Amino acid sequence: MGLRSAFSHFAETAAVPVFAVAGGGAREAVGRLSQSPTVELVDTPAAATILLVAGSVPPSLNPALTAVHDAMPSPRGTIHWPLGADQGELPTTPSAPPIGPSADAADAIAHVFRALLSGAVPSEQPIQPNADPNPWRGIGPYGQGGSGMTGGTPYGRPMAELAPDRDGLRLDVLPLSVGPFFPRFPVGVTLEVVMAGDVVIEGRVTDSPFIGHESSFLAGPFLRALSHPAPVAEIELARAREHLRWVSNALVTQGLPALAMRVLRLAATVTPDDATSVTALIRRVRLLRVPQWSGAGVGRLAPELLPGLGLGPVSRAAGLREDARSTDPAYLALGFEPILGHASDAAERWRLRLAEASQSLELARRAGDRRTEQTGVVESPRGRLQAHDAPFQRLQPVIPDLLAGLEWGDAVTALVSLDLDPEEAGVAAIPSARADAA
Amino acid sequence: MRDYASPPLALMTIGLVMVTGVYLIAVMDRSMATLIGGGRWTLGDSAIGPLRSAALLLVQRRRVTERPDAPAWALAPALLTGLAAVALATVPIGPDTVATDPSTGFVVFSAAIVFVMIAVFLHGWSSNSALAMHGAYRFGAQALSFQIPFLLAMLATALPAESLSIVDIVNAQESLWNVVRQPLGLPLYLVVGLAVSFWGPLNLPDASDLAGGTSVEDSGVARLLWTAARAAMLLAVAAMGAAGFLGGWWGPWLPGPAWVVVKTVALLALLLAAGHLLPRIRIQRFVVTAWVILIPLALVNIFVSAAVLL
Repeated sequence: MGLRSAFSHFAETAAVPVFAVAGGGAREAVGRLSQSPTVELVDTPAAATILLVAGSVPPSLNPALTAVHDAMPSPRGTIHWPLGADQGELPTTPSAPPIGPSADAADAIAHVFRALLSGAVPSEQPIQPNADPNPWRGIGPYGQGGSGMTGGTPYGRPMAELAPDRDGLRLDVLPLSVGPFFPRFPVGVTLEVVMAGDVVIEGRVTDSPFIGHESSFLAGPFLRALSHPAPVAEIELARAREHLRWVSNALVTQGLPALAMRVLRLAATVTPDDATSVTALIRRVRLLRVPQWSGAGVGRLAPELLPGLGLGPVSRAAGLREDARSTDPAYLALGFEPILGHASDAAERWRLRLAEASQSLELARRAGDRRTEQTGVVESPRGRLQAHDAPFQRLQPVIPDLLAGLEWGDAVTALVSLDLDPEEAGVAAIPSARADAA
Repeated sequence: MRDYASPPLALMTIGLVMVTGVYLIAVMDRSMATLIGGGRWTLGDSAIGPLRSAALLLVQRRRVTERPDAPAWALAPALLTGLAAVALATVPIGPDTVATDPSTGFVVFSAAIVFVMIAVFLHGWSSNSALAMHGAYRFGAQALSFQIPFLLAMLATALPAESLSIVDIVNAQESLWNVVRQPLGLPLYLVVGLAVSFWGPLNLPDASDLAGGTSVEDSGVARLLWTAARAAMLLAVAAMGAAGFLGGWWGPWLPGPAWVVVKTVALLALLLAAGHLLPRIRIQRFVVTAWVILIPLALVNIFVSAAVLL
């Protein structure tokens, strides 16, 4: 047995490094998977052995999916995990049959991983040829000189140019596209930015690729509540869990993956009677001063930009009493009052979501079998949700002002604090008749 | 004339200390992550898990990016490892047990710390990747800010010893450790030590908001080496903290080298816990804090220490 095969054999029971693409309807399932000790979700395909394509992925993301696949080192394998969705024509060819609805995903991944390391399953070949999209046309011995060496776009990227920065200096600027599989943002969020060093000169989030693409989110409690009266307890428990999942993602963004895992575990298991667990979490997060250190003064949205936008915790963190629940008799009977902030920055959105998670559990506990009475509009964890009208689209126009002049770390904190959900935008674009049918 | 171990012996010893220390850090870090994350801790998983992950990286084939600066990419982890080795070589574990004890040990250690900036910048630059380059830019700002307070905090420990030799600095703490003599020194050193080893709240070049920053494109052996080199630098910072502020080998009951190990592990535990409990500090806040608070505090520390000695 050679040294290489000895190492391979020893590594077969290592935590499997997985780059997960959590497509439509897959976010919660991928969150559960990440709690398995046999799987380690990684931030970059360069660190991954397994590419997991979960849920439905819009066809417009196929080129990016191909690039992610080819960026993984050998040995590498792909696993499809439909989760009840039709995954359509994916560019990746899986190393094993798709994970079935009753199968344990962590076991299935570990099985393929072992097969790859033992050589029972060959490492996947790249999908694209390894060739320059714009061949270099320099004439000198070191590739220098000549004209039009790269056709103006070396390797498909624009050249850095000069532009004024926030201090009025003329500096090199570099346009960049970050996403749609950037690990800190939900799948489908693509940020187009112009950077000068570490500072964002301008930035915008592109349209949701889920618009016009059927998504498994159709089965979610908030969408069901759009067309039919739904149990308040179910809606509020789902809201508390969504807010806790957001807290978990925000903690990862701030470099605290272990604490994030604890919160994710809480999000998966929390019940209306667990309000004390959430209160303890709020106390711990405040004690560690996470919102204050990472978000005070970051991503501030001027309150005058927000009236009428119905952006849920983002609006309420600016002091706006915008909450679709305020007009629902079922909530009024429970004595519901929206929680409001005032600072309108990322730290205030942290505080508000934590407080709302606690409030939602309390509402769920008291709601009994009460059902919502208002249909056609629902307050999702991200704001007012109606057919054809989701918070994602209403947030898009305010993002450029939000990002301009921020350092990259603050820009990511600010965007994460908005809780963008392109998948929800896709659902809202589906005609209400189909939502009714669902 | 100071003592030097023979080069082969010194290299072997430092190599052994680094491998052991890096493994210990991996085990401690994994254990802390499991416990804080609410998972089930087992000795087997914590002790063997890092080795299995390392074995996986050893069998992964290295991938390349478009037009990387290949020599610099290969050099960066080696440089960081070498700098950690140089820094560790100056840390004594007993009055006569040190790989190298030049009369200017403090200067040698400081020089190694200053060059960390070159290693990290090369690492971010060489893979020809935007997020990695951002990590490198960030570390430029970070390094320019931490170097002065780091050196000032360390320099204050040389005053009671009236020497720049690390052995003399430890010897001068026989009756009173520097952590008591200079109460500002150790906190300053540890804060800036996290920045030097870019760990935890000050892991800005390899941060999660850059999806791994300078190491975003690393795979296989390159990723393993960079991870190990970072841990080795953390070990060097903790070991020097034990020597410079916690009295090195001085202590009752246990033999001297055991005290060095105990104190180093205690500082490592503190630094690793900070990594799991404190959020990433914004680069702007760190730069302002370093120049406006840490440097003046370090100056106060050094002036007060000098005044007390006079």
